[in-house]
Amino acid sequence: MLFHTTHFFLFMAAVLGLFYASPRSWRRVILLAASYYFYMCWNAKLVSLIVALTAIDYAAARWLWEAEGTRRKALLAVSLASNLGFLGFFKYYNFLAGNAALFLGMPAGAFALNIILPMGISFHTFQSMSYVIDVYRRQQAPIVNPVDYALYIAFFPQMVAGPIVRAHDFFRDLYNWKPPAAEEQLRGVLLVVFGLLKKLAIADQFAKIADAYFRNPAASPGWLAAWSGVTAFSIQIYFDFSGYTDMAIGLAQLLGFHFPENFRRPYLSRSITEFWRRWHISLSSWLRDYLYIPLGGNRGGGLRTYRNLMLTMLLGGLWHGASWNFVIWGGLHGGLLAAERAAGVGRERARLSFGPLRVALTFALVTISWVFFRAATLAESTQILGRMFSGPPGKLLWARWHIWFAVLIVILAVAEERWDWTTRLVRAPAWAYAAAIGAFLFCLELIGFTDQPVPFVYFQF
Amino acid sequence: MAVRLGLAVVFLFAFDAAAFRTGWYASILEPNSTAGSLQTTIWVERHRAAAGLNQVLAVGDSRIPLRPRAANALTAETGYTFATIAVWGTTPRCWYYMLREVDPGRNRYAAIIVPFDTYNDRISELISNRDLDIRYLTPLLRLSDLADFSRSFPSWTNRLWAVQSILLKGLSYQRDFQDFLVRHKWRLRAAKITHDHAGEWMDNAEWDTQSLAGMSVDWGTRTLRLPDSLPADKRGFTRDLLLNDPPPREAWFTAYRRLWFGRIVKRYRGTRTRLIFIRLPRGPVVRPGWPEDKESAIREFGARGDAVLTDENYFNELERPELFGDALHMNGPGGDRFSRMLQRLVRQTLGPPEGPRR
Repeated sequence: MLFHTTHFFLFMAAVLGLFYASPRSWRRVILLAASYYFYMCWNAKLVSLIVALTAIDYAAARWLWEAEGTRRKALLAVSLASNLGFLGFFKYYNFLAGNAALFLGMPAGAFALNIILPMGISFHTFQSMSYVIDVYRRQQAPIVNPVDYALYIAFFPQMVAGPIVRAHDFFRDLYNWKPPAAEEQLRGVLLVVFGLLKKLAIADQFAKIADAYFRNPAASPGWLAAWSGVTAFSIQIYFDFSGYTDMAIGLAQLLGFHFPENFRRPYLSRSITEFWRRWHISLSSWLRDYLYIPLGGNRGGGLRTYRNLMLTMLLGGLWHGASWNFVIWGGLHGGLLAAERAAGVGRERARLSFGPLRVALTFALVTISWVFFRAATLAESTQILGRMFSGPPGKLLWARWHIWFAVLIVILAVAEERWDWTTRLVRAPAWAYAAAIGAFLFCLELIGFTDQPVPFVYFQF
Repeated sequence: MAVRLGLAVVFLFAFDAAAFRTGWYASILEPNSTAGSLQTTIWVERHRAAAGLNQVLAVGDSRIPLRPRAANALTAETGYTFATIAVWGTTPRCWYYMLREVDPGRNRYAAIIVPFDTYNDRISELISNRDLDIRYLTPLLRLSDLADFSRSFPSWTNRLWAVQSILLKGLSYQRDFQDFLVRHKWRLRAAKITHDHAGEWMDNAEWDTQSLAGMSVDWGTRTLRLPDSLPADKRGFTRDLLLNDPPPREAWFTAYRRLWFGRIVKRYRGTRTRLIFIRLPRGPVVRPGWPEDKESAIREFGARGDAVLTDENYFNELERPELFGDALHMNGPGGDRFSRMLQRLVRQTLGPPEGPRR
């Protein structure tokens, strides 16, 4: 059940209706049942996996809160091993087995298994782990009601592709639940419509160009073709992922939950450091709090800091997918972050200067790194990179309207950065808000890509 | 909140209406698309400077071999002038809405020719659920058609799509609009050229000269020998159509014909326009023992006097290989002969035109 399908909107309407029509004491059960139904629409059998992980972490957190000394550590280890074990098996087994087979001189598929990657496993295991670690650190009390904890792990708006919600944020909303204020409702609806627009009208339109290019790069020779194909993917992945996130945040807001911001116009960043403060914020802050800082962060001097940065980004890359391409993508970002840190870039306060050139340079670097993210193999990545920097120009793969569309997107993004027009819109007179929503829906009607639903890119992670 | 959402929906409909209900967008549709080709045909007929008691209009799909120029060569003799709004791939459901569009006052024609493959209720294709009809008809559908049109599809998927297309035309025009964004200059130029010249293009259109002359068939052994000159892409199709068993009688088809021809009949009841039902030449050869059902929806219309049901064997002499380009379609010479015969049939059926010719 994808967010941008009629099935989902009927489901959501039913959930909202049931949720608000029921007594408060039933609402958590309704949300949990809806969340499991949502999961089971994808794969009914694998719901047992999420139930098992929930049970393990629920019990581990309660026991380790009471325990002392090595028993606490052992319980933490059991919980982390369970999460990483499940994640490792489902997501990385074939990758490791393939590499092992190659190392032993055997065919790549010698030890391969036919494994289905469970939906959202990378996200809910990270949520579970952060909860158990927070309890271990005594920053979070263990949750007593198993329904509450199960809801935290399976809550359908964010289960599939985040944002990764911290336990204290989620339970703060759950235990002090208030119906969303009028402004929150308006923002929620705006985010859902805006998310749909980002996904269907922008991401899926540029996906057509990117998919055509990456399917057969040789069919579109020249550096202009390569850059236009890869840039189309840059646009696709941002609007796809942030569109999903906007919808998740908006849907949660309509149910009275407040998810953290996950994207803050990352392509307006003036450095890679700033980019990671604006891109997939819930993941980068998770990696900072549960990996980079425990590794020592920047406390051990220059070299250790660079090592920690590289390790964090390499693992962050690997989190996205089981392939060397993702490791290289992470390593590239780690290297750039380290280089910027060495050069003192990214430490100045934001908004001192707009620096369009730096924005363009950062965008170009991020776009180059996306080649590893999108290309099917390492060889294909290097081929495409070669095309981007050599040879004749070839043909621009964008139609003229794509260019105007991109210009409009940049104008809207800069306007949001400077004037926060979405908040102004929420507070605007009723007719202005309604006209804007009407206009967004009209754009969706005309350029929303509806031939067949294109899955969200991050659903595969 | 509810007020704002309600207003947002009103704005959405207003934007859609401003863009797609003024008729401007329909005039610049991609001329070769389904909706565009139908729209061009309608445009040509609406702008044809002719109306009155000697005008005869034919509806139909690609099977009707009417060539108005050939038919009108006999106008001096018969008094009737022929035109056609036949569009390939359309169905009786489309014809009803097309007629409503070209003849809003129900007084433009002396007669309307409605062609049939067969007077029997036999068919092999489920045309009642044909989603292509929605694409064809989007420019012609009105809000008042919402219930009638959408209910005429048996499947809920197509009903929903029909409702969407009537309420929000932009949804149906989505692909066309995206094409317009890419090729707007070309499209505007094409629309102008099409409007200026489509009438003469239709009049002077070259017809297929391919002929099945030389074909032979042995019904006993079900073997068919086709002329070598027949292109490969037509051979399989021709063979399948000619050698297949007759399609079954379908109750849904009877209901479908009663519904859509019934609407056409109702539309012209009490007017001076006569509906003339004709059975087209069936093919280059006709399988012996082809069933003839005594009762059918079309025969009911004829029996009730709602339409003139012409002799179904009237065009049998045209069922010859040399007059067909493939199993279904007559070629140029076949079309010429059919058109002349139709002109005479109309004159024979209606007599001389009433009143002054205009």
